[in-house]
Amino acid sequence: MTRKDRWLLWIFLAPSLGLIGLFLYWPMVGTVIESFYATSFISPNPEFVGFDGYREVFSDRDFDDVFWNSIAWTLGVVVFQNMLGFLAAMLLNQGLPFRGVTRALVLMPFVLPGVVTAILWRFMYDPQLGLVNSLMIRTGLASETSAWLANPDTAMAAVIFVAVWKGFPFSMLIYLAALQTVDRSQLEAATLDGAGPLRRLWDVTLPAIRHVILVNVVLTLILTFNYFDIVWVMTRGGPQQATHIFPTKIYETGFGQFRFGEAATYGVVSILVLAVLVALYVIVQAGANRRGRRT
Amino acid sequence: MRQTAATRATLIACQLLLAAFVLLPFFWMISVSLKPATEPFAIPARLWPEDPTLANYVTAFRPEFRTYFLNSVIVSGASVAITVSLGLLAAYSFTRGQLLAVTALMSAVVLAQMFPHSAIIIPIYRMMRAADLLNTYTSLIAAYVSVTLPVAIWMLRGFLMKLPVSLEEAAAIDGAGPLRIFWDVVVPLARPGVIATAVYVLIVTWQEFLFALSFTSTREMRTLPVGLNDFIGQYGIRYGELMASSVMVSVPVIAVFFVLQRYFVAGLTAGAVKG
Repeated sequence: MTRKDRWLLWIFLAPSLGLIGLFLYWPMVGTVIESFYATSFISPNPEFVGFDGYREVFSDRDFDDVFWNSIAWTLGVVVFQNMLGFLAAMLLNQGLPFRGVTRALVLMPFVLPGVVTAILWRFMYDPQLGLVNSLMIRTGLASETSAWLANPDTAMAAVIFVAVWKGFPFSMLIYLAALQTVDRSQLEAATLDGAGPLRRLWDVTLPAIRHVILVNVVLTLILTFNYFDIVWVMTRGGPQQATHIFPTKIYETGFGQFRFGEAATYGVVSILVLAVLVALYVIVQAGANRRGRRT
Repeated sequence: MRQTAATRATLIACQLLLAAFVLLPFFWMISVSLKPATEPFAIPARLWPEDPTLANYVTAFRPEFRTYFLNSVIVSGASVAITVSLGLLAAYSFTRGQLLAVTALMSAVVLAQMFPHSAIIIPIYRMMRAADLLNTYTSLIAAYVSVTLPVAIWMLRGFLMKLPVSLEEAAAIDGAGPLRIFWDVVVPLARPGVIATAVYVLIVTWQEFLFALSFTSTREMRTLPVGLNDFIGQYGIRYGELMASSVMVSVPVIAVFFVLQRYFVAGLTAGAVKG
């Protein structure tokens, strides 16, 4: 494109930037503004309350529950999703028979719609009809059936398990691609030096793809923190708030109870948490780019 | 790499276990969808029904379901077409524009993919209400195009960066204008990227739940994920029909994915691994 065609660049950019500005950036500002107003089902007209809304939300016990649930949910999903994804990628990188077919099949949960995943697993966990209880009894892991989703002690773990099942194929895909970039001659040299598989993993493979792992972990932290559909359809945040995370709490407060101001306050807090994660992402990504240029 | 027979056997067993872990719920979903309503659930569960039947599918394919399906096709189809078109134009500018402002804007686009939808939905809802667009296809398509554009632009840019500029320069020397170059040179070469991006947008929009749940208020406008969520209450524990509906919701997107996964996997991993 020549210098005099510069104007065309901006015309090409305009529709996308306009939509992203209008429906992604402007609403971020809108949420902050909204959080300073109070609305309810009875008085739907926004009334300015300043920081009172924040004081109320912070002194509410629900807030602590939602905050700690979100941390447990996000860390639980991210740790297990990345570990399982990495192990599966290592496995499919071994040159075993049928690895192409296995890779394609393993990707299926990633494509399965979230609501379908949630309904299917609600059914899997069903105390009377579900396969989970049935299998656990048959294999001797449990002696009686449990209502996994109805028990506040097990509901969060049960939902995390489903999110890991659906999410690990994505991590696997990224790690598999990364593993294929590892220098084979270095691996062979390490083998000649007498390094076993674990040594090779630790000394050659992990350092080589460290930046991919870091970027991917932080990206899944962000996406998991924003997750809504599986949790909402499986538990509605229950039982007794045991699985209420920021997105479900915001939806329930805003669209269930029409308390838009309070919902927006939760929204602003979740944006602040995300800002920390995004800052982490930018730092990690910058580090990865520097490394990429060096090698 | 050399492996002993025992290591190899263990690894193959692990691979089978991995496949089973992933596939068992799918198998169960299909099995229950084929179970006659009269056949009771047994404990421990039977893995395959005694007399498989398609009756659940016939019942589940009721008029409501067809409406939801049509709505999903319209909303996802329009979103794919619009996002990919606008995204390709933007990605082209982001690839070929050497301005500092363009680089800064690209960072802003990448950042936008991380915004929490639950936190921004209330202002968007108010905007749609003010424009009298709630409960319309337009509100959903506008939201879907906006939320899928950042990743779409990022994926397409990854593809365009690999295209040699020399082809465009050669066309310019032949006297082709910038629009002609874009249409005749760039668009055909970008085809694999366009396909990968289209698959991404389809996967995201076909299952989108939060916006569809908040913006649609009548059965006539519901999309499949919201309709399916409604079925939980309506059908009670008629799991056979629920699973048959679930299969019918999932098959189109899984089929498209299997046919085009080569493009999609390449598109997704290229940028992610390179960083």
